[in-house]
Amino acid sequence: MEVKILSAKFDIKDAHMLEVAKQHGAYSQLDKLFSMEPVAVIEEVKNSGLRGRGGAGFPAGLKWSFLPKGLNKPVYLTVNSDESEPATFKDRYILVRDPHMMIEGIIICCYAIGCHDAYIYIRGEYTSQVKALQKAIDEAYAAGYLGEKVAGHDFKLDVTVHRGAGAYICGEETALLESIEGKKGQPRSKPPFPAVEGLYGCPTIINNVQTIASLPYIIENGAAAYKQYGTEKSPGTHLFGISGHVNKPGMYELPLGLPILDVIEKVAGGVLNGKKLKAIIPGGSSTPVQTPEDAKDLTLDYESMAAHKTMFGSGGIVVLDETVDIVKLVENLAQFYHHESCGQCTPCREGLGWILKIVKKILRGDGTSADIDLLVELCDNIEMKTVCVLSAACTMPVRSYLIKFRHEFEAYVKKGASAQANVKQG
Amino acid sequence: MAEMIKLFVNGVEVEVESGKNLIDALKVVGIEIPHFCYHPALGADGNCRMCLVGIEDGRPPLVPACKTPVAPGMKVQLDTGKIKKIQQDMMEFQLINHPIDCPVCDQAGECTLQDYYMTYDAQDSRMTVPVVSKGKKMDFGCGVVHDQERCVLCARCVRFTRLITKTGELGIVNRSDEARVTTFPGRPLNNRYALNVVDLCPVGAMTSQDFRFKQRAWFLTRDKGICHGCSKGCNIFIDHNREKYKDDIIYRFRPRLNEQVNGYFICDEGRLSYHAENEGRLLAARVDGKDCSVDHAVQAARKALGPKILMLVSPECSIEEMIAIKALADAVGTKLSGYSDGYIKAGDGDGWLIQDDKSANRAGLAKLGIDATKETFNGALNSSDAVISFNNDLFIHDTGSEFRQKLEKMKVIAVSTHNNTLTQNAAIAIPVASYSESSGSVINKDGILQHFGRAVQKNTPLADMTQIAGMLGSPIVTESDIASEMKKVLPSLTEVIPEGGLKLTESEAAHVPA
Repeated sequence: MEVKILSAKFDIKDAHMLEVAKQHGAYSQLDKLFSMEPVAVIEEVKNSGLRGRGGAGFPAGLKWSFLPKGLNKPVYLTVNSDESEPATFKDRYILVRDPHMMIEGIIICCYAIGCHDAYIYIRGEYTSQVKALQKAIDEAYAAGYLGEKVAGHDFKLDVTVHRGAGAYICGEETALLESIEGKKGQPRSKPPFPAVEGLYGCPTIINNVQTIASLPYIIENGAAAYKQYGTEKSPGTHLFGISGHVNKPGMYELPLGLPILDVIEKVAGGVLNGKKLKAIIPGGSSTPVQTPEDAKDLTLDYESMAAHKTMFGSGGIVVLDETVDIVKLVENLAQFYHHESCGQCTPCREGLGWILKIVKKILRGDGTSADIDLLVELCDNIEMKTVCVLSAACTMPVRSYLIKFRHEFEAYVKKGASAQANVKQG
Repeated sequence: MAEMIKLFVNGVEVEVESGKNLIDALKVVGIEIPHFCYHPALGADGNCRMCLVGIEDGRPPLVPACKTPVAPGMKVQLDTGKIKKIQQDMMEFQLINHPIDCPVCDQAGECTLQDYYMTYDAQDSRMTVPVVSKGKKMDFGCGVVHDQERCVLCARCVRFTRLITKTGELGIVNRSDEARVTTFPGRPLNNRYALNVVDLCPVGAMTSQDFRFKQRAWFLTRDKGICHGCSKGCNIFIDHNREKYKDDIIYRFRPRLNEQVNGYFICDEGRLSYHAENEGRLLAARVDGKDCSVDHAVQAARKALGPKILMLVSPECSIEEMIAIKALADAVGTKLSGYSDGYIKAGDGDGWLIQDDKSANRAGLAKLGIDATKETFNGALNSSDAVISFNNDLFIHDTGSEFRQKLEKMKVIAVSTHNNTLTQNAAIAIPVASYSESSGSVINKDGILQHFGRAVQKNTPLADMTQIAGMLGSPIVTESDIASEMKKVLPSLTEVIPEGGLKLTESEAAHVPA
């Protein structure tokens, strides 16, 4: 099932070094690139159907075409390598094992959109990754792939690495921009969208690492070759991080559209120790959970995920076996999102903490059925009332657990009630 | 005049000004959209989510009104179940971690949270888990006291220090429900407008050290006034109250919106200048060190009036008072000076609201052709044997011994609102009402004529200065006489002075006395 497009050089020794990467085709597409018109590059990417790999899956070429024309302002590219969604570990492979693929992608994107200053926003915890990336960028500068004349062509491009301080919210594109500008990482209200008014008030394109890293293949082989993989509406390949209770957890490159249960069984070696499958988190912690029943006809593409009322997300699949306590999982989830709420909008700031406290109350055995109802209502009251979607990233999965695993919450309520009754009688 | 456009609110067509956001545009036609964080002077932030409104056929269908400009044909929904539910939910979120200590909170009675709770929420608490505790009664400096638990994190105060004073002392630290407004360690509020954050705060999180626990908001009478702290003439509310068995006193000044003059703010010095209206006042008439009736003092003063008396008027006096005094000087046949250099604190102004000139109506002096130069004053002083001062404390101008000796040889009559060095040295002292206790008009440094009415009614009212001038023999003292005299010197003034002030014409404002 596995394919090797993005991960082609991952297993080659020292492929992160420029010399080795070049032997395997890195930067080989630049002459072809500069012979094309920028609009033709955008057109090719549009035709490839490449969708943003950060989670939302917005078509990359279409996003680029939203840049306003004829503005007397610089255009910026920001590569989002915050990779902060729990259960996601794909971009780090690119940053460490094949950073030149991404740098080449940056050159392609910048040429297409007319950008001369690209920023890579990398999460603070990625210490070894930032070193590897910076080393590769230094190599690229020294070799003339970056700087005044990219690969000898009349095109200037500077790439700057900006380290975050480890906030989940800085993976949200406008919080990311605020962070680069030296401000507190808090999302901006949209409109204006970054393509119109982004970094330093200038038109800005923000793409995920994997989106950018997919570009050299598309330029080399053309849109049609890329579309051979995946489904019609979700073409291409994706780096999936499979974790949790499986025999072979890890990062796997797969074409989109494969049945999720097959992937768990055949690629990840099935549920750990032959236990029973309880649930699947399909695309990172913020995506609504799927029961084995739900997942029967679920395939790994944007459309199937949407049809199952969940999301493709970041490709971080978490497999949960029968031993998992869903209420404790929800506590963990709520704890994370509560902690990471930037504190800007009222419902998210106050509401996520409230949700967490109610879940803790239920876990303590002090909860009631009304508390479970209240949790569901709070999810509705918070969701989509905020500047960004962090609140929804918490409420969507929490609601899915509350509805699909309500009996586990009720069990805690019942256990608590009978324990209290015993205390009273005793 | 901005272009008018038509849109629909709850299906009803309304006509509003274009170029405004929904909150401001609809407010003009009497439709309120609840909000905490938006403030016209600070712009839209969009964090409170209280102003979310529905837009029929809109993309997106739910928008923050503060960030949404009005558009022709827009169909705004404020009364749908969905919007009402959102407003109720936002209030619930604001209140779950709020201490609800209204009985001991200074803001009670003028609190947005209280008002909105009654209008948009009105449900019982569903909070059964512990609330978040944060800092209480924190001294933020400049007399601002902060309560982090009452705070709704609207960031108006933070934006004020960043956008308006550009001093940036305040910030929000931490995230989620641990977020709180604070100062940086060892860097308290340090600007001359800091107390404005108390007015900006929609709840009781920011209170004024000067005002807190002094008076419940609902007991205060709010009258319109003009600050007399300097020549800017900022518009204020004079909040005063007569407690049982006590006198009517002022508890605070608050800024009053006037786009033409001060906008939404006033300086701290002006705000606290109300103390001078309550304290240090001259209350009894005095002749030769003995208290007496005002009539007796005026009779004594009348005897001293003659060509050899120098009349001195203060640039603090209103136009009306100046007119009456000028008429008195003309009737007596003596010189009138407006010398008042001591009111000018060179270099103190900041180019915004605070001015070097600490008098309210210097432009009025010029308008009436009253000479204020030191040379003329000194000349007149040398040729006089008595001085009558109308609220002009000579000793703040020149306290040199030569000057004192000169004054000691003269008979000094002080008509004054306050006890000061001059009244202490005066043979005759006559108390008069101050600006909060009388009405009048002043011209600010930008040539804007503004009127203020009587706010405070003392148990024993002091006479107005115009009244005293009349008792001393001024022929122009009635309201109608003064009004027609005013129209003579101020041709722009055809009707009554409009709310917000009358900008005098260039030639009038630049008028220099011959």
